[in-house]
Amino acid sequence: MDLSSFAGPFLPEILLLAGTLLVFLFDVLGVRTTERVGAVAVGATALALLFVVADLGFAPLTFLRTIPAGQLDAAASGTPLYAFTSLGLVFQAIFLLATLLVSLASLSRPSRDRGAPIFFGLLQLAALGMLLVALASDLIFLLLAIEVTSIATYLLVAYTRHDSRSLEAAMKMYIIGALSTTLSFFGASLLYGAYQTTSLLAIARDGGAAGFPVLVLLGYGFLIVGLAFKATLVPFHAWAVDAYDGAPTDVTAFLAGGSKKVGLFAFFLIFLAPILFVRAAAPGGSPFTSGAVALGPVLQITLSVLAVGTMTLGNVLALLQKEMKRMLAYSSISQAGYMLIGIAVGTAPALAGATLQIFAHVFMKTGAFLLVAGVTAWGVGPLIDDWKGLGTRRPFVGVAFALMLLSLAGVPLTVGFVSKFVLFSAAVQAQGYFVWLAVAGLLNSALSVFYYARVLRVMYFEEPAARATPTGAVAGGSEPPVLPAGGLGYGRATAILLAVVLIVAVGVYPQPVLGAIQAAATHFVNLGA
Amino acid sequence: MTDLALVGFVTLSAALLAIGLFGILTRRNFILLLIAIEIAMNAAILNFVYFAAYAGGTAGLTGQAIAVVLVGFAATEVAVGLAIVLALNRLKGTINVAQATELKL
Amino acid sequence: MTLAELAFVALALVAVATAILSLLVRELVHTILWIAVFFVDLSAIYFLLDAPFLGVLQLGVYAGAVTVLLLFGIMVTRKRIFSREAATGIGAVPLALAVVTFIFVISVIGEFPQSGGTIHAYAPADLSQNLFNVNGPWLLLLGLIMLGAVGGAIYLVREGRE
Repeated sequence: MDLSSFAGPFLPEILLLAGTLLVFLFDVLGVRTTERVGAVAVGATALALLFVVADLGFAPLTFLRTIPAGQLDAAASGTPLYAFTSLGLVFQAIFLLATLLVSLASLSRPSRDRGAPIFFGLLQLAALGMLLVALASDLIFLLLAIEVTSIATYLLVAYTRHDSRSLEAAMKMYIIGALSTTLSFFGASLLYGAYQTTSLLAIARDGGAAGFPVLVLLGYGFLIVGLAFKATLVPFHAWAVDAYDGAPTDVTAFLAGGSKKVGLFAFFLIFLAPILFVRAAAPGGSPFTSGAVALGPVLQITLSVLAVGTMTLGNVLALLQKEMKRMLAYSSISQAGYMLIGIAVGTAPALAGATLQIFAHVFMKTGAFLLVAGVTAWGVGPLIDDWKGLGTRRPFVGVAFALMLLSLAGVPLTVGFVSKFVLFSAAVQAQGYFVWLAVAGLLNSALSVFYYARVLRVMYFEEPAARATPTGAVAGGSEPPVLPAGGLGYGRATAILLAVVLIVAVGVYPQPVLGAIQAAATHFVNLGA
Repeated sequence: MTDLALVGFVTLSAALLAIGLFGILTRRNFILLLIAIEIAMNAAILNFVYFAAYAGGTAGLTGQAIAVVLVGFAATEVAVGLAIVLALNRLKGTINVAQATELKL
Repeated sequence: MTLAELAFVALALVAVATAILSLLVRELVHTILWIAVFFVDLSAIYFLLDAPFLGVLQLGVYAGAVTVLLLFGIMVTRKRIFSREAATGIGAVPLALAVVTFIFVISVIGEFPQSGGTIHAYAPADLSQNLFNVNGPWLLLLGLIMLGAVGGAIYLVREGRE
């Protein structure tokens, strides 16, 4: 096997690894200005994104394809550790977009930050882990790839090492992360015991475990609990708000928009196959129904309950928050519930809806956190009420944030509306109790409008109150607090602009993106049949 | 040695997982938390080893390979945890999770 | 009861006892002693399972490296090496959760034969063939994890002038 034929399909991963190593080398050589180091990270991520999009087959880029046509969505022979699926490529694009937004915005971090090489290096390494998750077709490969991302994100959260809040957030995240990893590996070991293989397709297909229904059920149970921590589903969400709140806000943007989706994609890979196989084999009986337990329906009901609980509790708690970051963190938890609906329903349209929802969430939530980071750097406080009047005084920031919140609420002509429409209509089409999932999702969307609207009201219709200056005197009657003259910085402004443009563009004309995602979802569903 | 029953190993690993979980939920010293996590992780590794021993053939080799990788991974995880805790200790002088209360629960 | 079964029961009891002791004793250094015994004991179980390579690995990595790492952690974060840990209660809810987990996992034993079973031994050459060839990507992933850990951990603990 010569190098080019081996390295070709892995070009995006190799680019990110090279970027990571180069940036670490910069640290040793003493090149530590944010702009120089960040340029490497932005370049590597953008190039990797280009190749992934080319592999997805967008017309003007097809000459850049790196994956041979026969290898994409090919029926697996044997038990390979990784496979190239178009849904995996869609997720790679999503992960790379989140990383690109965060690294662009981080170009505007203080230039003399001596840890810049480590920051961008870990960011790229986390992105590399996410890309590998999207390739996985083996349980151990998947869990180890998730760990590449997890370890890098613990250290990213701890990155502002002279801020005890950041270190404590990292400590909490580490403990919960290590616990969830342990439970996942325990579940994987039980599945290995039942099937004597760790290949995901073989596990889903193999009837060899008919004698071990309890072992299989327990294995999946431990995996659900372990991965639910990573995907911040509701009984296992408590750590996330603290971690999101304590982490440097740019890192929070990466956690909410990027690394959390890794857990959700792991749900796709692990739990979708058993659901699909049961449906495909329903008339003649399936491996699982022949045993004591029908695994597919059990998984569907479990995931449905998790989805409804996550949406509802996340929204109710978001309603009660007074701080901007915590409100966005809870809203991010509730969004995970919507995405889970797609997996519970398990049809190709529902899968496409969930994928589009994850795609949309990257721009909405990553963009929102990046914007909050920029505004906080101006000296605006953490409370929602501290944002009074910001919309009229900083029109760009105001309009951008308003669009992100409207999209999160699911207002028409934004990408958030399209994704919810596709997702909920797929759930309704699937009949059965899935209709109630759609109803729960709609009610929750309505509920979420309240807290997004509150932020808009504060930003546009409330005058900033007179505030005491540090010397104790009241600053000139009703004079608003002084905002510094500087803007957001070019990098951050570019990232936010990119997010806003995509929110509106995909919202108004969703066809290219939606079409690609629907095709990928259909391929994925047919993969095992 | 061909006469060990699998049920004994299942019981042992279940007990170790339960002890580890209990430790993670109750201990407040970070080092003790790390130890509790390692006990639970060893339960998972033990699972792979004995299932591999009973599987035989390529499947068994795969199980042992997983166990080897996991031992290396667990050691790396401990090192990362210690790095975080040493940085925190330098800053605040405590590694007690309950005393580190700047974040709301 | 055969000699092997007797050995296994003894080793298992020691493993459970040392695991519990390491979490309950109040002298932190004694905790490290018990957990070292626990790791050595598990390594003996691996030898009993005809997995000598894993036994040696367990001795080297866990009983050696991890134990020393934890000991250093305690020495650096505590003023006096024999300092005591404030007693933390046992707590009814965590205990119940642990017991429930135990019962859940133990419920699978009905699916296995209650006695006997062939233990396969694997040659280290075959194992390394599997580890480096067939399942090589796992080791690559482990390498990536270590790359991140080393880079980040060095940054966290090195003296920094911001």
